[in-house]
Amino acid sequence: MAATRAGPRAREIFTSLEYGPVPESHACALAWLDTQDRCLGHYVNGKWLKPEHRNSVPCQDPITENLASCLQAQAEDVAAAVEAARMAFKGWSAHPGVVRAQHLTRLAEVIQKHQRLLWTLESLVTGRAVREVRDGDVQLAQQLLHYHAIQASTQEEALAGWEPMGVIGLILPPTFSFLEMMWRICPALAVGCTVVALVPPASPAPLLLAQLAGELGPFPGILNVLSGPASLVPILASQPGIRKVAFCGAPEEGRALRRSLAGECAELGLALGTESLLLLTDTADVDSAVEGVVDAAWSDRGPGGLRLLIQESVWDEAMRRLQERMGRLRSGRGLDGAVDMGARGAAACDLVQRFVREAQSQGAQVFQAGDVPSERPFYPPTLVSNLPPASPCAQVEVPWPVVVASPFRTAKEALLVANGTPRGGSASVWSERLGQALELGYGLQVGTVWINAHGLRDPSVPTGGCKESGCSWHGGPDGLYEYLRPSGTPARLSCLSKNLNYDTFGLAVPSTLPAGPEIGPSPAPPYGLFVGGRFQAPGARSSRPIRDSSGNLHGYVAEGGAKDIRGAVEAAHQAFPGWAGQSPGARAALLWALAAALERRKSTLASRLERQGAELKAAEAEVELSARRLRAWGARVQAQGHTLQVAGLRGPVLRLREPLGVLAVVCPDEWPLLAFVSLLAPALAYGNTVVMVPSAACPLLALEVCQDMATVFPAGLANVVTGDRDHLTRCLALHQDVQAMWYFGSAQGSQFVEWASAGNLKPVWASRGCPRAWDQEAEGAGPELGLRVARTKALWLPMGD
Amino acid sequence: MSAHNRGTELDLSWISKIQVNHPAVLRRAEQIQARRTVKKEWQAAWLLKAVTFIDLTTLSGDDTSSNIQRLCYKAKYPIREDLLKALNMHDKGITTAAVCVYPARVCDAVKALKAAGCNIPVASVAAGFPAGQTHLKTRLEEIRLAVEDGATEIDVVINRSLVLTGQWEGSDFIKTSTGKETVNATFPVAIVMLRAIRDFFWKTGNKIGFKPAGGIRSAKDSLAWLSLVKEELGDEWLKPELFRIGASTLLSDIERQIYHHVTGRYAAYHDLPMS
Repeated sequence: MAATRAGPRAREIFTSLEYGPVPESHACALAWLDTQDRCLGHYVNGKWLKPEHRNSVPCQDPITENLASCLQAQAEDVAAAVEAARMAFKGWSAHPGVVRAQHLTRLAEVIQKHQRLLWTLESLVTGRAVREVRDGDVQLAQQLLHYHAIQASTQEEALAGWEPMGVIGLILPPTFSFLEMMWRICPALAVGCTVVALVPPASPAPLLLAQLAGELGPFPGILNVLSGPASLVPILASQPGIRKVAFCGAPEEGRALRRSLAGECAELGLALGTESLLLLTDTADVDSAVEGVVDAAWSDRGPGGLRLLIQESVWDEAMRRLQERMGRLRSGRGLDGAVDMGARGAAACDLVQRFVREAQSQGAQVFQAGDVPSERPFYPPTLVSNLPPASPCAQVEVPWPVVVASPFRTAKEALLVANGTPRGGSASVWSERLGQALELGYGLQVGTVWINAHGLRDPSVPTGGCKESGCSWHGGPDGLYEYLRPSGTPARLSCLSKNLNYDTFGLAVPSTLPAGPEIGPSPAPPYGLFVGGRFQAPGARSSRPIRDSSGNLHGYVAEGGAKDIRGAVEAAHQAFPGWAGQSPGARAALLWALAAALERRKSTLASRLERQGAELKAAEAEVELSARRLRAWGARVQAQGHTLQVAGLRGPVLRLREPLGVLAVVCPDEWPLLAFVSLLAPALAYGNTVVMVPSAACPLLALEVCQDMATVFPAGLANVVTGDRDHLTRCLALHQDVQAMWYFGSAQGSQFVEWASAGNLKPVWASRGCPRAWDQEAEGAGPELGLRVARTKALWLPMGD
Repeated sequence: MSAHNRGTELDLSWISKIQVNHPAVLRRAEQIQARRTVKKEWQAAWLLKAVTFIDLTTLSGDDTSSNIQRLCYKAKYPIREDLLKALNMHDKGITTAAVCVYPARVCDAVKALKAAGCNIPVASVAAGFPAGQTHLKTRLEEIRLAVEDGATEIDVVINRSLVLTGQWEGSDFIKTSTGKETVNATFPVAIVMLRAIRDFFWKTGNKIGFKPAGGIRSAKDSLAWLSLVKEELGDEWLKPELFRIGASTLLSDIERQIYHHVTGRYAAYHDLPMS
């Protein structure tokens, strides 16, 4: 063992003043492995599951030592675990929140009592610096349990109207901390869900946690852990009992899973990628910012690499300090108490070697320093600069432990560069100018922003991302909603149609022919696509007839196509910055103005609804309710966002609710006016701009509303495109620059939308052919809409003089 | 003492450009203590090194020649000879870096050190210690008298009223505090000072020394201070010419730790000579 190795005698150390090994004994981790006879199975339903005739893989520490063998799960083991979780769900979710709270608290206490075992096992196997596991992860794991116990105990009041989804399938990537599992199982268990976690081969810490939880007694089966290869992911995800799949891993794997789960029963939450970003401005405390870089990339805290943007005027100074600091970093065995970085095994080492070699060949400069063992799998802290922005390496994710530095000139340019990637995880801003720091913090398109700090975490602060980092959340209130669904809504069913051809769905537009002249008492309906604030002729220059309830021709609407969608999305993007920058009050004022305009147009709207078969009374009520929805969302948006207070941090954390961007909405056929307005109102209220496809049966109501929008709203805020529903859906779902999509229509359309969203991983909300009661408050204007219509950002603002 | 600070033109823009983010510095201060520890032989060697940085200090109103004499003897023989022998360090001439006394006791200290046959420098606090709020004339006179009596290092309390109004002074060494304040040497303050020393070195090539004083009582504390200097400035600052620890009771705790390292037992009070 390292402690007994012959070191330099005191005399030499007295002169050199070097650091020595500070080995932490892992005897208790080995003793625990011995209790399993060095053969780890799975932990299912409160028992160890060690089926026969399974492949096994060796569990090693990253250096070489072979610790144990791990059995690999097969499909039948997955089915058994899901069944155990499904049975456990019945009891667990039926208990009052306080009972779950007590159980979580007891688990926290058990972790506290056996924390040495947990941290030595985790550090031994993953190779991460034991200090980070011991002082960071293990403490945070307990805080997570305590925080979520409190949430569980107040669930009946605070989360009234929501119910647990059911069994959650949790999938974790090959290099991860057991904490990633804790972030997700805590909220899931707190709200009443049960979990089946699929961890990569040879990850004993999650198994230990499951054992600790299982031995607590009355609720075996709420947490089941299987270890197995990535090939089990689709098998777990498509188990009929699984209601939601929470996936963490690489973006490409997430994309593939999104495609394969289209139309399946389970919902999907993605948390992808590991890269982080640090913005260093010329008013920063550069030395502290350099420590921020160390926290982000070279301290075993974060899982991935860092993109570092440095303002040109402090480039030299920052690089000098950074390189000086790198020289003092120490790497070594994870179980050494005085190292900054451990080793993460051969795969991580290969990945970074490949990246650095390629970066060099593409013209980048590479600087490496630090006290690092020269043999594999250790890899030194690495700083890459002068990487040409257009080179392939500049596009891919920066791996651990690499920092890629590039300069920027102004804050505005920094935002352009920072937002110019498909990633949207976390970022920090270093500036001593309050105004600038906030400007950058608000402007960054990421899930978490730290001002003058990096990598702070707390159970009460939501952590998540946007864009291709996936839009699932953990921590805080957002983490709870991941595992809840509105009470009383019908269970999400599989709408999988095996023979849906994604290549041809909605590709061709059936031709439409003239169907005679328009007749009837009402004035001629408005005609055209409402794009950029005015009615335009469709690119196809053709029209489709709309019939009323008695089969007579009600009017013609324009036949929109791909080019019209492109134009509408462009118009919406142009309007977005101005609209998102408006205060909620100003946005509310315009929604109220539209409500007033609808009321003035009441008789026209009601008569058109009548022609679609509604009673006059009901038609008038629909118009009135539509106006009320506009007013209600206008009022609601003014109370969004709030401030969180975090233990150990002076200063607030702001939970912001930011607009998604351009939102595409395909409206349901039913309720041609009310559904349209019910979807339009929250979208606009929260600062989004929209491209809407109105009811296919009667788009004329939406077009009537457009006449008012043309006078009330700035151009481009809301764009309405009529035409073939499947074709327009296809265009919108495949559009890379549409930030989110809501689809209320057929099961097949839903499946297509879910599949196509994998392109830019836009969040989608698809009805899967289930009708909604738009006239009911819960379904027509409930909190679910408010949740889906904006995205959260956590902005950390530490204070100090 | 190293070569004196040759000084440089006062450029106040250096000071106005400095940005210090308080919460970030606090975090760094916490991390440094958690991320660097030394154990076993490394700890023993580091502790002996720490001894050579100590300005062994007595600044009491009731100091007399007898306790000054005892202090000086302890400065010469800081660690029991047999313990040093066990570590094979007895021939390294380990003494404290200096003794530090009030101006009126400089004579006693010089005499006692001469009697002990060693050339440990005598440092004196002077110039209106600890408030610095006396006339410039008496402050200068106090320094002159202390030097006359044989003090070779003077710890000057700067006139903080001048600092607070932006009129700065220069020095060879900077010290965290007098040791007589309610809050003395803290890591966050030290981090800011060490970074200023590094910046000044990068700009002018002058190496300024650093002396934390006050409240450093345990051996563990002294190790943290050593690693703080090593981390922020590097090994070249880890020598008595550039780094001192102002302390009075620290030495006895270090000796206890060395005793434990050598014997594997915890020392009784009477096992170690008093200072």
